[in-house]
Amino acid sequence: MDRVPPGRSAAPDAHELAPRVYDELRRLAAAYMGRERPGQTLQPTALVHEVFLRLADAGAPWNDERHFVGIAARSMRQILVERARARGAQKRWAALDRVSLSESLVGAALEDAMLPALDEALDRLERLDPEQARIIELRYFAGYGVEEAAEALGMSPATLKRRWSLARAWLFRELSPSPR
Amino acid sequence: MTPEQQARVRDLFEAALDREPAGWDAWLAAQASDAEVRDEVRSLLDHHSRAGAFLADPIVSRMPDLLADRGLEPGAAIGSYTIVRELGRGGMGHVYLASDARLGRTVAVKALAPRLTRDPSHRERLRREARAAAGLTHPGICTVYALEEIGDELYIVTEFVDGHTLRDEIAGGARPSANDVVRTARDLASALASAHASGVTHRDLKPENVMRTTDGRLKILDFGLARIDPLAGPVSAGPAALATLPGVLIGTPAYMAPEQLNGQPADARADVFALGVLIYEYACGVHPFSASTELARIARVLESDARPLEDRCPHLPLAIAEVVGRSLRKSPAERYANAGEMLAALDHGAAAVARRPSLTWWRTHQLVIMAVYVMASDVAWNLKESFVSAVSLWLFIAIGIAAALGGIVRGHLLFTARVNRPRLLQEWRRTARLNLVVDLLMAAAVFGDALLAVPTRALWAMLTMAFGVAIALAALLMEPATTAAALGEDAGSRS
Repeated sequence: MDRVPPGRSAAPDAHELAPRVYDELRRLAAAYMGRERPGQTLQPTALVHEVFLRLADAGAPWNDERHFVGIAARSMRQILVERARARGAQKRWAALDRVSLSESLVGAALEDAMLPALDEALDRLERLDPEQARIIELRYFAGYGVEEAAEALGMSPATLKRRWSLARAWLFRELSPSPR
Repeated sequence: MTPEQQARVRDLFEAALDREPAGWDAWLAAQASDAEVRDEVRSLLDHHSRAGAFLADPIVSRMPDLLADRGLEPGAAIGSYTIVRELGRGGMGHVYLASDARLGRTVAVKALAPRLTRDPSHRERLRREARAAAGLTHPGICTVYALEEIGDELYIVTEFVDGHTLRDEIAGGARPSANDVVRTARDLASALASAHASGVTHRDLKPENVMRTTDGRLKILDFGLARIDPLAGPVSAGPAALATLPGVLIGTPAYMAPEQLNGQPADARADVFALGVLIYEYACGVHPFSASTELARIARVLESDARPLEDRCPHLPLAIAEVVGRSLRKSPAERYANAGEMLAALDHGAAAVARRPSLTWWRTHQLVIMAVYVMASDVAWNLKESFVSAVSLWLFIAIGIAAALGGIVRGHLLFTARVNRPRLLQEWRRTARLNLVVDLLMAAAVFGDALLAVPTRALWAMLTMAFGVAIALAALLMEPATTAAALGEDAGSRS
């Protein structure tokens, strides 16, 4: 096992790390704002600020870049899931023909509706193996590639890939029409 | 499951990934003695192999749409429209119930998703399609009132249709009567035909897009707009590409014609195909290409024929099953060229259905005549016993032969009507002359018998004569009428 437990000792003050937080989140923001049309009301800074406030509110300090990356990815998850919940995604998820999911013809609209259910399944997965939940957060919610995610979690890319497959299969089963 | 077992499951699963899936079972059996662990690994591997593109595309890439997708609150103003509440949302964007302050009416406002309107050429195409759809004024089509462009946003304002979708009816479980199926098919074909006549195709006809209003009328929604999604088309590499392109499939491709799935240009005949699938599913609650998985269903649409509707729903008029069957042909050239042709075929079938009850009278007629044969034989037997002579004996024999011949032929016709209805007309023509000869012969023989009895039993003789005349008139007058009613005008004349 090559898990790196996030240390909690000697956590620096969140405000000291603000510039690094900002850069890291900008990187994330740039990845999607590049596709944005002009005149879009959502500014990158607004998102960054939102994420940052979340981090500060949660009172979650971090002791290194790796640790922060995990927290940022989790924040992305929280933001997206909350938005989906606010849109009433559960109701649509309940009404969806899940046959589509089991055949992986998963469109954007379906995934959006799936988010709250995915979030709950991730919580269950986290209780079994927190590391697998981290991998999903990094790759799916933060868009990290295999190399980056492996680096952030301190494991080899090959191991990460295999564990990603395991976590994905587990979640897929949780979200399939007849679990178990 | 203990943490040790969990760790074992993880290690076995990850080790299995380096092996051929075909050998997993044997390998697992050798590796894991713990049945619980083995079953868990097997279940996970099974889901792994079915997971396809699940989670493969990071959601962060869709963040702008997901985050920007806040929706409009009740009371918000879009031009002169005031949002009342959200009606729903789909791949195209959000749909709201709104009130139009200028005309004081209730409308539906569809706010198109930013992803659809971002690109100027797509915007132009949306405008063009909305304009074409606005030209459709059929009562079976949800009317487009206006296209509003406010800032960067594009809104399509349509008639508000209150009711439920055909999907709700199909999912409801109660199967519609044959009449309901015929009426629904006809109404939809008629609406679609009017659009096709104006050169507008729907391209995404499915039960979700058909509303039944609270007063029972059908309305098709989203004309010509549904497949404008820039991500959705054209699909050039077939189903494999469909499965992996993010955001392409909103719902399922269950109503796409083979040529659409193959990425070829689709025209009115693709709508005909979709309507065929829809009627089939509405009629018997089962998709014509139903399969255990979505990919298997696509494969069936592309490669195998649907089980004929008449097999699955024998209570339906054969005519409508034939129309649906032709709409579901793989090659567009073999389908109806447009919904107008399909409508004509349905109407033709409906006319046949309207004639159908008169087969009952034809059948009754045949049965009564067969009973008459038995009665005539009985009369002839009585006469032969009372007036023993060569004449009465020969009359009895003649009536007996005629009754046997007529009985067999009419029995054959009734049997044909029962088991092979389409052949009935042909069989009728083949035997019509024989029937007439047999009946007239029998009428003459009965009349002859009556003449023998005149001197001794006048009343009985008179009744028997009337009986003979009745047989002749039934053959000459009534049978052509009942047959024409049952099989068509040209069947009534015996030529």
